[in-house]
Amino acid sequence: MTSDRAVRWFLRCYLALLFLFVFAPILASVVFSFNSQRFPTIPLGSFSLQWYEAILEDPDVWDAVRTSIIVSISTACLATFIGFCTAYTDYRYGFRFKGAYLALALLPPTIPLIILALAMLAWFSRIGASGQVWSIIIAHTVLCSPFAMAIIRLRLQQMDRNLEPAAWNLGASEWRGMGQVVLPFARPAIISALCLTAAVSFDEFAVAWFVSGLNKTVPVIILEIVTGNIDPQVNAIGTFVFITSITLVVIAQILIMARESKGGTAP
Amino acid sequence: MSEVLVVFDDVVKRFGEFAAVKRMSLEIRRGEFLALMGPSGCGKTTTLRMLAGLELPSEGDITLEGQSLLSVRPHERDTPMVWQSLALFPFLDVRENVEFGLKMRGVAADERRRRAEDWLDRLGIAEFARRNVEQLSGGQRQRVALARALVTEPQILLLDEPLSALDAHLVIRMQGVLTRLQRELGITFVYVTHSQSEAFAMADRVVIMSDGEISQIGAPRDIYRTPANRFVAEFVGRNNILSGKVKRLEQNDAVVATPAGALKVSVGEDNSISEGDEISFVIAADLVRLSQEPPAEGNAVPVSLISEEFIGSVVTLFLESDDGTEFRAQLQERELADIDLKAAKELYLSWPPASGHILVDRI
Amino acid sequence: MADAPQGPVRGKPAVRRLDGYALFFRLPIIFWQLLFFVGPLIFMIAMSFFLVKNYRMVEAFEFDNWAKMLARGYFWDSYLLTFGLAALSTLVVTTLAFPASYALAFKVSPGVRRWAIFFLIVPFFTSYLVRTFSWYVILAESGPINAVLSYIGLGPYIMLNTKFGTIVGYMTLTLPLVVILQTLSLSHVDRSLIEAAHNLGCGRMRTVFTVIVPLAKVGLIIGAVFCFILSFGDFVSPYYLGGSKPPTLPILIIDTTKSGQQWPRAAVVAIMMMATLLTVAFAAIALAYRRRVR
Repeated sequence: MTSDRAVRWFLRCYLALLFLFVFAPILASVVFSFNSQRFPTIPLGSFSLQWYEAILEDPDVWDAVRTSIIVSISTACLATFIGFCTAYTDYRYGFRFKGAYLALALLPPTIPLIILALAMLAWFSRIGASGQVWSIIIAHTVLCSPFAMAIIRLRLQQMDRNLEPAAWNLGASEWRGMGQVVLPFARPAIISALCLTAAVSFDEFAVAWFVSGLNKTVPVIILEIVTGNIDPQVNAIGTFVFITSITLVVIAQILIMARESKGGTAP
Repeated sequence: MSEVLVVFDDVVKRFGEFAAVKRMSLEIRRGEFLALMGPSGCGKTTTLRMLAGLELPSEGDITLEGQSLLSVRPHERDTPMVWQSLALFPFLDVRENVEFGLKMRGVAADERRRRAEDWLDRLGIAEFARRNVEQLSGGQRQRVALARALVTEPQILLLDEPLSALDAHLVIRMQGVLTRLQRELGITFVYVTHSQSEAFAMADRVVIMSDGEISQIGAPRDIYRTPANRFVAEFVGRNNILSGKVKRLEQNDAVVATPAGALKVSVGEDNSISEGDEISFVIAADLVRLSQEPPAEGNAVPVSLISEEFIGSVVTLFLESDDGTEFRAQLQERELADIDLKAAKELYLSWPPASGHILVDRI
Repeated sequence: MADAPQGPVRGKPAVRRLDGYALFFRLPIIFWQLLFFVGPLIFMIAMSFFLVKNYRMVEAFEFDNWAKMLARGYFWDSYLLTFGLAALSTLVVTTLAFPASYALAFKVSPGVRRWAIFFLIVPFFTSYLVRTFSWYVILAESGPINAVLSYIGLGPYIMLNTKFGTIVGYMTLTLPLVVILQTLSLSHVDRSLIEAAHNLGCGRMRTVFTVIVPLAKVGLIIGAVFCFILSFGDFVSPYYLGGSKPPTLPILIIDTTKSGQQWPRAAVVAIMMMATLLTVAFAAIALAYRRRVR
């Protein structure tokens, strides 16, 4: 039927347009980062690396990168640890008020960042922790642990309910069972959670901006630059951030797939 | 060394309000193949899990060689289990799976490897040692699970419906493997199943459970011949169960008024049966005879044929008496050679009073 | 059966207790969230009753901030503006996302769908700030879009510092997520029900609205709620693309905090926002799970 084909054709074009809209700012940013013009327009200026040179020579940017790396790695470790504990508790135990327990664990993503940022700024000031790097780490962990928990919980769902009891039955104490069975089984999800939470933390600006004071992370630097005036350095920074995040995700995926094809043999 | 290995002493297990096991007492003997059998929900798996330490009894005690197991954690017990879902570790290869129990006991790597490979060889799956368990077939994985449980040379092996996921022809083969292994090793097997044929084929003794209680314990043949009550009789075989009031007692027989007619069943030495009692009795399907004329003596019921089931040399006939009672007869094919079932005008089902076995219904 | 053996003492059945192992895994999230999530939020609520004297915050229990804030015209203007923009954004994004989600759920192969969802996750790994900045450049009066339009003799159009700009920003923020959520819920609709509808003579379009949408209702509403929450709470788009005047509530919070040091007043705004979002979320969930009673 031609009307069916017409509909299909229309929908495919629509999809393409939508993806164009979604990716336009990303692609534009990458293109502009190599564009010599300060105010990009059509036709484009000449190819230039000046913005990259500018950011590589800016000590503030390097400080921010260092801070961002410290924060995101710490956040990843903490959030994944807490997320794992919560996911395992949900998987293994039933108890009174479990609903409230899970709500407490999963609520952060539903609160707008700006509100969380304000609340944490006030709270950290109150307890004298404002402006410290570890206050950013703490705030990011609150934000990221639900994601880690969800990823790991999904993986645990796939675990045979008898796998842990089988380990105990064969002589493993609960702790040993955790190390010998649960952790190896959940390893792909743990790696995913580490990478995802690192990426989310690396990119988070609202809370970091409020809470960080003088210890700025990369997104905060971006924010300050953008607040000042139009500066294409931002595109260069943005492209770097993008490449870092994507690399983390790709590494995680490769690790997971390599493990699966090797047949999951323990080292 | 006494013959009794494990004792369940008045064990009760409750989950909230629900009693999965109600005051159960059982002795498991050293070196026997014991089957726990019954319909879903009868408590057999719960009983097995209590033996493994995965559930704790709400009341009562479980002892192993005289020592109470109640304070012994699951990983401190020597009761490896073959699981219904097999529960093989997907992130370890076959040999590492089998080595697991030895690793937990601190056995050195070379020793572990040797013993694991020894068992893999014994069960005919040595070539799969380095493979991932997911790549094996159902029957092969079954053997891995067995090897994993046996490699530590335990006193008792627990099996939770291990054959339920296998194809029919594999089930027969694995039954042979299990029986042979148990005889060779001489260790105690406690085997849970809902399948009567599995239990009867392999076990030395069968425990039939219903609703959290034991209905009967005994050798397969004894249970089949002399079921303790109606539940067992119905669960265990294709049997004929008749009920009625005792009209009178004649010497060693009771004449019972059943819907199918007045039938005699021998009571033997039992003095508890008197005139007027309501009793049930069972006649095994293979103990009845079919003929075209009423026999000279013994019970006889006129029947008509409903259908036949033909499995090689044994034929199961489904028959109906005039009052509508259904009967089953299991006969050798050659016994029917003289009778043309379709054309026969009159058929009689007959058996001597001694073939009937009176059932005691639990209140 | 032999009598029960007399010998060794009967063990006592152990009661299931919360052991160290269980506690080790159960407690971290409780401590962490109470200390660093619930604590801050409760403190923020309390803070809305504090006073600011000589640029310093003083603990008190006064309704001063509440009275002042809620009496101000500019607060309610901002409130209505924020709510209106978020609602508009939800409407626009949900509607624009639908044909794409429909296509992904029903008109492409599962492989293509997986890749599409993967690509829709990519934006989450880019900086939202940088993307907004890109739009700032693209939509500028002397930017690429107006340049192209001028070749055909149209424009130039002013797209920045307008509500249009803000909406474009909101779309950038929420569109990928809404498409993913809609696609997932649409692809779980039972195909046989759709075929049954067609079989009974229901036209394609009609089936979409009378069969598919009601079946995927919960997922669609959840997507819309997320869109509303994200748009309502975002400050980047109204700030950089919308001109920040008149301010939306998030911008109000930033201004009050960063430049005014009036944290208690900012807390009042934040609490009003939370109350609004909670109400909207509950209403949406009630709508989603409402059973139609005939």
